[in-house]
Amino acid sequence: MAKSGVGRLSGARTTPSVPRLIGARHLSGTRIAHLFTLLALLVWWLYSQVVPAYQMPGPGAVFLRMIDFVTTPFLLGQLWISIYHISVAIALAFVVGSALAFTARFAPVTRMLIDTVLTPVLNAFAGIGWLFLALLWFGLNHTTVVFAVTMILIPLTTINVRAGLQELDEDMMEMGLSFTRSYLSRFIKIVLPLLLPYFFAALRISFGVSWKVVLTAELFGGNAGLGYLLNVARQEFDTETIFAIIAFILVFVVICEQLLFRPVQRRLDRRYSRA
Amino acid sequence: MHSNTAPLGAQLAVTVIGIAALIGGWAWAAQGQPDYVLPGPVAVLQAVARFAYEPQLIAQAGISLLRVVLSVAAAMVLALVLAGLVRRFRILDETVERRILTFFNAFPSVGWAILGVIWFQISNTTVIFVQVAIILPFCLINALAGFRQIDPEMDELGHSLTRSVWRRFRLLSLPLVAPFLLSGLRVAYGICWKIALVAELFGASSGLGFQLARAQSVSDATMVFACCIVIVLIFLVTDLLFLKPLVRRFSVNQ
Repeated sequence: MAKSGVGRLSGARTTPSVPRLIGARHLSGTRIAHLFTLLALLVWWLYSQVVPAYQMPGPGAVFLRMIDFVTTPFLLGQLWISIYHISVAIALAFVVGSALAFTARFAPVTRMLIDTVLTPVLNAFAGIGWLFLALLWFGLNHTTVVFAVTMILIPLTTINVRAGLQELDEDMMEMGLSFTRSYLSRFIKIVLPLLLPYFFAALRISFGVSWKVVLTAELFGGNAGLGYLLNVARQEFDTETIFAIIAFILVFVVICEQLLFRPVQRRLDRRYSRA
Repeated sequence: MHSNTAPLGAQLAVTVIGIAALIGGWAWAAQGQPDYVLPGPVAVLQAVARFAYEPQLIAQAGISLLRVVLSVAAAMVLALVLAGLVRRFRILDETVERRILTFFNAFPSVGWAILGVIWFQISNTTVIFVQVAIILPFCLINALAGFRQIDPEMDELGHSLTRSVWRRFRLLSLPLVAPFLLSGLRVAYGICWKIALVAELFGASSGLGFQLARAQSVSDATMVFACCIVIVLIFLVTDLLFLKPLVRRFSVNQ
């Protein structure tokens, strides 16, 4: 969708009289977005002036607490622990989820089992359920957190990779078959590259969802990480810390989206566009 | 490497054997384990059955279902309003997509749950607020995409037929966006059951999430299992009975 918008813009630039108009409109759209951000901050500040601080601390106080975070090694360490939890969970879910999808593809007898039973049930299983079961099985530790997040991510990965496998271009497969009979080299040279956009989509979704759920997992089932800090802050009604942690996550996710996922997505779109 | 399909009978056999093996493996693993670690399938099934006849448990499931449905409806209306605003005033595109959507998308769900309790105490409002905040981005993405793909010529056609904004919205825009909205609805409904139950852990004294939390706090693994299975069942049944037919109906119309 965004791509067509960009195409329209750059297409319009070739005609001499239109571009300034469109450029100006684009610019003011950005300006309105910035204004909106400022306005939201202002409303937040104004509101924080009238309600008690434990309900809504102001932007200034939250910002100071964020600086506290970055300068305190203990707090920074918790941030790293959360990142570690997420990375391990994403990697595990990626391996297991892809394995399920590949099994459904290359061992067709298992297709019904995986497509109509395993994936939907895993997909509908509540994240909290995994978390509580893991708590009973493993206790309060890293394993519980990683297990719960992994189980939530597995169906997402399977669905994406499975979609990719279903979209595989049959002509491409046939071409591969006419070049070589080796399963392995066809798999590595044709199937994997064709699946790349789907792998990437799976990673991107996993990353977004894992941040949403890892805090819950750490809050109930962890003895370290941002979620654990959140739990301590919650019990002490330390709303500033709660806001600061949320703000960190917002900043981190947005930065990753802008600097990592968006550029890669753009490259993939260009590389894989069929037009 | 062709997408060769196996005969349906073989697939069915593997499915049945697979499910049997999973349940058998579960029963085998549960043997000799105390109930608070791993309850057997029979015990869990009995607990699930309790949801069918114990009025108190039916009420818990019912209130969760009610909250989820209300939240999904509210989030959908909100997303429609925002997307409609973007459609009417193109200039807001960036504000909605890169500020509001990004904000809600990146906001951790448990953060909403904690803040909801701080702001509204323990109440239905809290649960619905938290659930709406969590699923709003999923609805919004689809509503924006739906409105964006409306053919401008269709719009012009509508303009030439009637000047009433409401009629154009109801008779033209809505049916055109419906497939997108419905797929968003399905995703949001699923997410609501899966993630948004967190809201009930903190913000409610009833519902399946509350039931889960209580079972966990007394190490009643059988009930934890049963709640999870009941959630899966409710989701699958409602999806099959209401959402899938709805999606099919509107995509056939296209």
